[in-house]
Amino acid sequence: MKRILRRFSFWLLIGFILAGIWGPKCFKSSAETQVASPFSMPLWVKKDTSPTMSLALEPKREHVQFEWNWEAPPNITIWGTAKFEKETSASLILENPNGETILLAQNEGNTFLAVDVDGRDMSFKMGLGLSPFDDPMKELFPTKGRYTIKLWPPDLKIKSGAINIRIEGSRWGLLGTDQRGRDVFHLFLLGIRISLLVGISATLLATLLGVSVGLVAGYAGGLVDTVLMRIVDVLLAIPGLPILMVLAGIWGKGLWQLVVILSIFSWMGTARTIRSLTLSLRESTFVEGLRALGAKPSYIMFRHLLPESLPILLANIALGVPSAILAEAGLSFLGLSDPRIISWGRMLNEAHGFGAFTTGAWWLILPPGIGISLICLAFLDLGRTLEEMADPRLKGGANK
Amino acid sequence: MIKLIKNYWFRRIVGSLVVLLVVLILNFFLFRIMPGDPVSTIIDPHFSPQAKQHLRAQFGLDLPLYQQFYLYVKSLVTFNFGQSFLSQKPVWEELRTRIPNTVFLLGTAFMLSALLGIWLGVKAAQKRGSALEKVVLLAGSISFSFPSFFVQLVLLMIFGWAIPIFPIRGSLSVPPPSGMAALWDFLWHMTLPIFSLVLLGFGSWAIYVRNLMIKTFSEDYILLARAKGLPENKILWGHAFRASLPPIVTMFLLALPGILSGAVITETVFSLHGVGKFLLDSILGHDYPAAGAAFYLLAIITIICNLTADFAYGLVDPRIRLGRKME
Repeated sequence: MKRILRRFSFWLLIGFILAGIWGPKCFKSSAETQVASPFSMPLWVKKDTSPTMSLALEPKREHVQFEWNWEAPPNITIWGTAKFEKETSASLILENPNGETILLAQNEGNTFLAVDVDGRDMSFKMGLGLSPFDDPMKELFPTKGRYTIKLWPPDLKIKSGAINIRIEGSRWGLLGTDQRGRDVFHLFLLGIRISLLVGISATLLATLLGVSVGLVAGYAGGLVDTVLMRIVDVLLAIPGLPILMVLAGIWGKGLWQLVVILSIFSWMGTARTIRSLTLSLRESTFVEGLRALGAKPSYIMFRHLLPESLPILLANIALGVPSAILAEAGLSFLGLSDPRIISWGRMLNEAHGFGAFTTGAWWLILPPGIGISLICLAFLDLGRTLEEMADPRLKGGANK
Repeated sequence: MIKLIKNYWFRRIVGSLVVLLVVLILNFFLFRIMPGDPVSTIIDPHFSPQAKQHLRAQFGLDLPLYQQFYLYVKSLVTFNFGQSFLSQKPVWEELRTRIPNTVFLLGTAFMLSALLGIWLGVKAAQKRGSALEKVVLLAGSISFSFPSFFVQLVLLMIFGWAIPIFPIRGSLSVPPPSGMAALWDFLWHMTLPIFSLVLLGFGSWAIYVRNLMIKTFSEDYILLARAKGLPENKILWGHAFRASLPPIVTMFLLALPGILSGAVITETVFSLHGVGKFLLDSILGHDYPAAGAAFYLLAIITIICNLTADFAYGLVDPRIRLGRKME
């Protein structure tokens, strides 16, 4: 046990699991919401380009100030409704560093102010006194410096509701946004869930199948053994990914269908291993003794042979998860998964489909790809450690 | 009769025929268990009346199921796969133009990665603990855990966008050049796909060969060869490598089917004109005759490879052929 705790991969895996469970809960909105303009870069690159800013006027926050140190942004959107205590004539105002004020929206003696403005709206441009072909952003953001967006008159209090302001830029968040303006970091965290869920459950299901077949074939021997092993041979001879694709394409693309399909075609290795273990254990003296004492075959198999093979089995599970994760990611990448389920393979599929590599949107390709690779490497390393613990002869090798 | 059943070659051939039968049954039923009329998986409403009539007769769609199966097997064995829903052309015509591309892509990539991997594996086993061995182990881990499409997308981004020296899609330029230029154009389009497959493939080869060679190096006859004072190169290639050759040959043939999966993904990433992309497009486009045909073709290649591997193993290792257990 201590050896596992010393492995970095173990802690990496724990980190992934925790991030997968708690990470997506830290976000208030759903992953499908558009948070910034499509193909925004991560915030920490090319700091001379303008970022996307999200601001809000809320109760007890009737004005917001922000530093704007970049060129004029491509667009601004303002939406939402703020309710007031009493009927007033309120207006929303942008004050630029030169001290000029620009009227963004106003109401006419109501108890609320409802705003729905897009910088590209014709009426908005007309309201600023511009022609429909002018860029209003140059008017709104003439210089660098401190800008203020506030409600007028200044003593106005928001009772409930909020007015949201988003200044579009080309940078956003930790990992930028995808082709639909979704937060890539949020998608990445959701992808952990699918990879782990599919990888582990498919492997567990396959192990269950493989152990049952292997134990029965090894212990029963004879015709049962021959038939079961021929089935294994036949399944091994069918090309893996093509049959998975055909099945996923025909049976449906749901998550659980995928798990079942993956496990049907990955139990053969476990069955072979368990069978050969059982074959050698069957003839050992303690099994002979059990038989002499009148133990039933099922008792011998599940109470004695199975625990004996448990260490190898654990290693087998850990080594099987990467291939299940890779197969799931491959199918999702090929577009053979439920498009509503966000997974790393799906992210890469969309990145490929929308030509992320032709625009150099590396933040759409690297996070899911590195995620898959890291999780697979962690499981591989864990599996090898478990294997060495089960069979100390494998130890050493590279360092000797 | 019993002698025949116990005969190694006979058993292998029968085994392959059983797999072929299973594939045929799978193919037959998979596309018939779908909800709806099974006829709709062979005949598209848009087909011409003559084509409908012809397909109905070819697959015996009005006959009982066992006769349908017989006709189905007959059609598949003679490469009459029916008509594609998407292109309205016979499926075999569509497939035929794609087979050479796929064979070239996979064949070249496979040979290169096997040769590079074997050479590196031998060198790594010779110099345990060297930097080369660490590289080999790392490359092996990469080929086991890095998804191929991810590596290929990164390569595309580097060599297609950042340093645009290779095309990002297609098997030929549009419009395709003629004569010798077409060949160069084709090779130019194939460089990146083949490079990516070699990059992903050689690691597992190198690790496999390294492990084999390490085992061989601990044998007594290597010690004897050293004691005789034979030159190191002669021991390495003439004795150790020669003795590890049979499992390498088998592995060579056994690994062939595995790369078919690579064909689907590589051809999709690079938008190549091949069988794998054809299979994916057919499945996504619900073009069932085409999907069935492509799957059948890939399965046949797998079966042939497995059979050849069995034969090669039987030839190089008589213990297998004569039914004795190894050691």
